[in-house]
Amino acid sequence: MAHRAASSPVLGQAARPATRAPRQPRVGFEGRMMTPGLILLAALSIVPFLALIAMSFSRVRLLGGVALDVVGLTNWVRFFTDADMWMSWLRTIVYFVLTVGLEMVLGIGIALCLYRVLRGRNILLGLLLLPMFAAPSIVGLLGRYLTDSTFGLYAWVLRSLGYGGDILGSPATAFAAVVLMDVWEWTPLIALITLAGLSSVPQSVREAAAVDGAGGWMALRYIIFPAISNVLLVALLIRSMDAIRYFDIIWVTTGGGPADATKIVPVRLYETAFRFFDLGYAAAIGLAMLAFSIIIARTFVRLLDVRGLTR
Amino acid sequence: MSTVTAARKAPQSPLEATSRRSRWLVVLLLALALLWTLVPLLWMLLSSFKNRTDVTAATPQILFAPTLDNYRNLFSGPNNLGPYIWHSVLAAGISALLAVCLGALAGYGLARTQMRGKRHLAFWIISTRMAPIAAVVVPLFLIFRGLGLIDSIPGLVLAYLTFNLPFAIWLMSAFFAEVPASLEESALVAGCTRWQAFWTVVLPLTKSGLVTTFILCLVFAWNDYAFAVVFSGPNSQTLPIAASQLVTQTGVDWGQLTAIGTIVVVPMMLAGLAVRRWLVTGLTLGAVTGE
Repeated sequence: MAHRAASSPVLGQAARPATRAPRQPRVGFEGRMMTPGLILLAALSIVPFLALIAMSFSRVRLLGGVALDVVGLTNWVRFFTDADMWMSWLRTIVYFVLTVGLEMVLGIGIALCLYRVLRGRNILLGLLLLPMFAAPSIVGLLGRYLTDSTFGLYAWVLRSLGYGGDILGSPATAFAAVVLMDVWEWTPLIALITLAGLSSVPQSVREAAAVDGAGGWMALRYIIFPAISNVLLVALLIRSMDAIRYFDIIWVTTGGGPADATKIVPVRLYETAFRFFDLGYAAAIGLAMLAFSIIIARTFVRLLDVRGLTR
Repeated sequence: MSTVTAARKAPQSPLEATSRRSRWLVVLLLALALLWTLVPLLWMLLSSFKNRTDVTAATPQILFAPTLDNYRNLFSGPNNLGPYIWHSVLAAGISALLAVCLGALAGYGLARTQMRGKRHLAFWIISTRMAPIAAVVVPLFLIFRGLGLIDSIPGLVLAYLTFNLPFAIWLMSAFFAEVPASLEESALVAGCTRWQAFWTVVLPLTKSGLVTTFILCLVFAWNDYAFAVVFSGPNSQTLPIAASQLVTQTGVDWGQLTAIGTIVVVPMMLAGLAVRRWLVTGLTLGAVTGE
């Protein structure tokens, strides 16, 4: 008995003696477990973060050893006055809204359809999930093959429907193409998450709705969607954070062209950093992108806290 | 209008009132979704078995004499794919393994700790995972150049850990949070040390979590292009780089490219489907638990 009483509060902070050991806050078992991972993570995140800040105020020289020449606000002034940059942000927002929006709508649609299928749902879902595991760069290259104006399968289909242009060669169609490639790859993720949400709606809730005469759209609008709104929000946030992380598809298909039509911010950053080797300016762009992603991360964590989705 | 008739009318299938017409609509929509999803993949697979003329025929060829030439050429000749595969396996494998080991330890600590500032810690970890690759690559490029880590497998492993490690910590902590603390308490009562309780009681219960975390980390690293294109050189180029290198000014060997594409994509699809049950948990970082 006494044994149990002594041992039960061992987990966590309560393990500290009630008398509160003065001064040195002893690192508990949990702390020791976290130490190796967190040290490495700090080295991999805080050091680069500080380097990024330093770089954004410098001109970076790479020849003859790495060196930073402090140039003050030059990169930032350029960042805020660069008209091309503003266009890139605008394009990024359009790209972001289109891809994530289409993925949400189609993903939810597919999930609702799958949900009605009782037999073979697992096999169907398994097949529909496949694009998610494909390397985005391969998706881009495959997209290039499919849309090639002389031998591409999709170009051929479009040609027989009356469109004969070069899909990746003209701005509007190139933009649509890279959006659709992203949609092809990531819609399954939304469908998967939504389906998990739908399956967690208790049978009794649906039955009650049916008994009350709520069918089809009514049940969806007033019963199902409210019940899975948290899950949908998680899907939206998860997808949003990755939508600006990955730009491989654009990089290997159009490289930002034609005429900058697909040059979203990360593509411009890569070009600035690794084609023109203007790493200082690239760092300024990177910090701005980071700010955006931190807002999303903040929302995600707050959502988990408020709705108690985990822990 | 009794409840009896309503109850009888309600079919067993979810999303009630499935009329015949709407059922056909569902079938039609799913067929379209399947077509949209699978045609590019099947076309890639098919094209990888086509010879040079069939693969760039103006009219798509569905019936053709299949050939293994593309795959054979990939593994013979000057640009052997072997080293690329090896680099991919090493970089992705080691980073996934390290991420899972360190992630399991740190994730357990994070799940059980009661320390002040736990939420800030959690936020820091998740925001590291969400940091845009482009913003991470730029400073890492400078640091790696200083440390001589450009064009090396350790460099790639470290680069992949920037996203795999926070992912693994966060996800493992979600899996550990599912394990009731009372189990460890009884282990402690039975005389185990904290480490023994972790190692012999908790860890075996999260085996599926460990496997899921490992596979997802593997997929993320294996599929990476953005880091590898900057950090890798002749001694460390990975498969996605090999694929993109086939795109040249003079033209593209689409037969070989679709063959590499197949080699890159198929193993990850199999690995991903192998952990399908835990995919939702994994890909939502534990925010949604599956089915």
